[in-house]
Amino acid sequence: MSAQRRAQVLLAILAVALIVLPFVSGSYVLSVATLILFFAFTGQAWNVMMGFAGQLSLGHSLYVGLGAYAAAGLFFHYGIGPWAGVWLAIALCVVAGAVIGFLAFRFGISGVYFALLTIAFAEFTRIGFDHITWLGGAAGLFIKVEQRDTWDLLNLRGTPKMFYFVMLALAAGAFAFCTWLLRSRAGYYWQAIREDEDAAQALGINTFRWKMLAVVISAAMTGVAGVFYAFYYNNLFPEQTYHISRSIEIILGPIIGGLGTLFGPILGAAVLTILADSITEIMAAAGIEVPGVKQVFYGLCLLVVIMFLPNGIWPAIARRLGLKDK
Amino acid sequence: MTAPSKPRSPVRRRVIQAAAASAALTTLGFPAIVRAQSKRLKVGVLLPRSGYQGFIGQSCQKGADLAPGVIKQMLGVDVELMNADTETNVDVARTRAERLIQEGANVLVGAFDSGQTVAIAQVAEQRGTPLVINIAAAPQITEQGYKFVFRNFQTARDIVGNGLRLTGDLFHATNTVPRTAVFMHVNDTFGTAVSRGIAAAMPHMTQLPFKIVDTISYDPAARDLTVEVSKAKASNADFLMLVCRLNDAIALRREMVKQRWNPMGIISPGSPGMYEEQYFKTLGKFSEYSISNVPWYNPRAELTHVVEKAFQKQNPGEKFPFHGLNVGFTFEAIMIAADAFKRAGSTDPKTLADAIRQTNIPRKMMLGAPIKFNAKGQVEGIGSACVQNLKGLPTVVLPADAATAKPVFPAPYYKA
Repeated sequence: MSAQRRAQVLLAILAVALIVLPFVSGSYVLSVATLILFFAFTGQAWNVMMGFAGQLSLGHSLYVGLGAYAAAGLFFHYGIGPWAGVWLAIALCVVAGAVIGFLAFRFGISGVYFALLTIAFAEFTRIGFDHITWLGGAAGLFIKVEQRDTWDLLNLRGTPKMFYFVMLALAAGAFAFCTWLLRSRAGYYWQAIREDEDAAQALGINTFRWKMLAVVISAAMTGVAGVFYAFYYNNLFPEQTYHISRSIEIILGPIIGGLGTLFGPILGAAVLTILADSITEIMAAAGIEVPGVKQVFYGLCLLVVIMFLPNGIWPAIARRLGLKDK
Repeated sequence: MTAPSKPRSPVRRRVIQAAAASAALTTLGFPAIVRAQSKRLKVGVLLPRSGYQGFIGQSCQKGADLAPGVIKQMLGVDVELMNADTETNVDVARTRAERLIQEGANVLVGAFDSGQTVAIAQVAEQRGTPLVINIAAAPQITEQGYKFVFRNFQTARDIVGNGLRLTGDLFHATNTVPRTAVFMHVNDTFGTAVSRGIAAAMPHMTQLPFKIVDTISYDPAARDLTVEVSKAKASNADFLMLVCRLNDAIALRREMVKQRWNPMGIISPGSPGMYEEQYFKTLGKFSEYSISNVPWYNPRAELTHVVEKAFQKQNPGEKFPFHGLNVGFTFEAIMIAADAFKRAGSTDPKTLADAIRQTNIPRKMMLGAPIKFNAKGQVEGIGSACVQNLKGLPTVVLPADAATAKPVFPAPYYKA
């Protein structure tokens, strides 16, 4: 069996497993799986910027927050559903991404300085949103929650199973979109820029334009995740939504899974979420109730992965399965 | 002739298979057939025991830990705790709530923080499992039309309203009439929300003799508050109204000493920080006389003595007043669930929720009216206390019927 055929079979098995999962699992597993898919999606979005184009963003919570607040605000005040709100979310995120990208790339800010710029934008947006009373300000914005036994896909009001399938569709869509992107001209240009920007420029690639494209696509995708976040949790606090810890959560998946790969963000999200929950379960089974010990184990596990698999988990697995890294 | 028996697998393998099967059943959600027939109430306690709220979560946990013993003694009800750490994270709070319900929790209690509580509330509502909130002040939580969510804690509006009223009572009790205040607050989510509440409430508090001459916000993570304190001192206000957290409260008090600014007093209309143990330990004598108007326990209540005794038995090295607020509300949340279980005689979630709705507990630990839920699932009339730092301990000085000492205002080092 060729490597491509093997990859297709594995992908088909995974797809079937994910579709069947809600019908055979309890609600706890479903909530964990939804979380994995959420981080797989946001990881995929971040990967476009960092993994493909080599631009390190540590402030992706900015786009989660903008997307979440845009759609939630429209729904809360005017009853406009998320599928309409998502366009405003995308537009806002594209503008925010474009502003950050323009400021950075036009004035030659790169590397850690670019990362600092992204943090700064997320931080002052958080502080700004603390004062926007129309969106609840610091006291939070709450979307009305109803007893949900039916699926209202139009307004994203429904059972956990519905949210799971919405997130699954988004994650699958992101995977397909990123596959296409990576194989497109943009994908090759981004990889050239990532590997050596000066060389790429010397070859005639307009690096400013292509880096800007990576930023706005990544921002738009993350904004879509923000819409889901708002309607899944039904409450938004600037301090939680824009917090740097959320940005870190987003980037951990692709880093652990395999930066620049298509399957890395998915695998990374799954490994990290399952690892975190497994440690909790093992600790509970062992009767260990020391707060914070879990985080220590979690940190150690990450350390081991980074030490022994510096390129991430997926490239190593792919090699073993005889698949291409990507 | 009998058919040859199938070779039996080794014991170890069978044990592993059985364990795996039971684990799978647990994971995949085994139907809770005998749930309603249980004679023991399983309470899922969700608290942020790690992460940046870990310290407070652990303090609340002490209230949960002593609850089964005290409740067994009081109500004769067997309570089994199922503890979960939310890690100060809404995602974890949600999945842990799902897990606890799947493992058979009859009722949930938690979760100190509003964001995490809302995440849990949605799960509770979706799964039809009652949630009794111990501490969370966002007013919207009980405005959602939830049928399984109950709160025995003040909303942010009530905290501010009660805090300002108590400020007036303090001046009345000490025959003082401060005319001006400088208002300093942290500019985080909590501080901004409270400051907005104060701005909205002040015009309606006509009984208060003072006006706010300046409002100064500052970053809770700021290490140097020299400029802010200088500005506050320059306002010449009679007293400092402060909405703070712990670390900034310590830094600010130190700066006040450094700049020799001695207003009539420091009064918090409803924030943590100044009644916490670390504030006393770090500041020593300079922690004295600071005042916090916060939801508090009634030190004269009979139940408080029972809880305090149990607390000291379980935590011999700890001082109860530093944990009383967190312990009290967490204990009461579990007590509400146990009381409802006793009356309902069932762990059926709907029956239990109906019983909680009918709660009427006059013999309580925290200040205020008896525990009764309104149609929205909110307890009304929960009281606050004017808590002043006296002799190294947070001490109730108002209301008079709960006070264990008289208020000292202005602070002794005050010089007009």
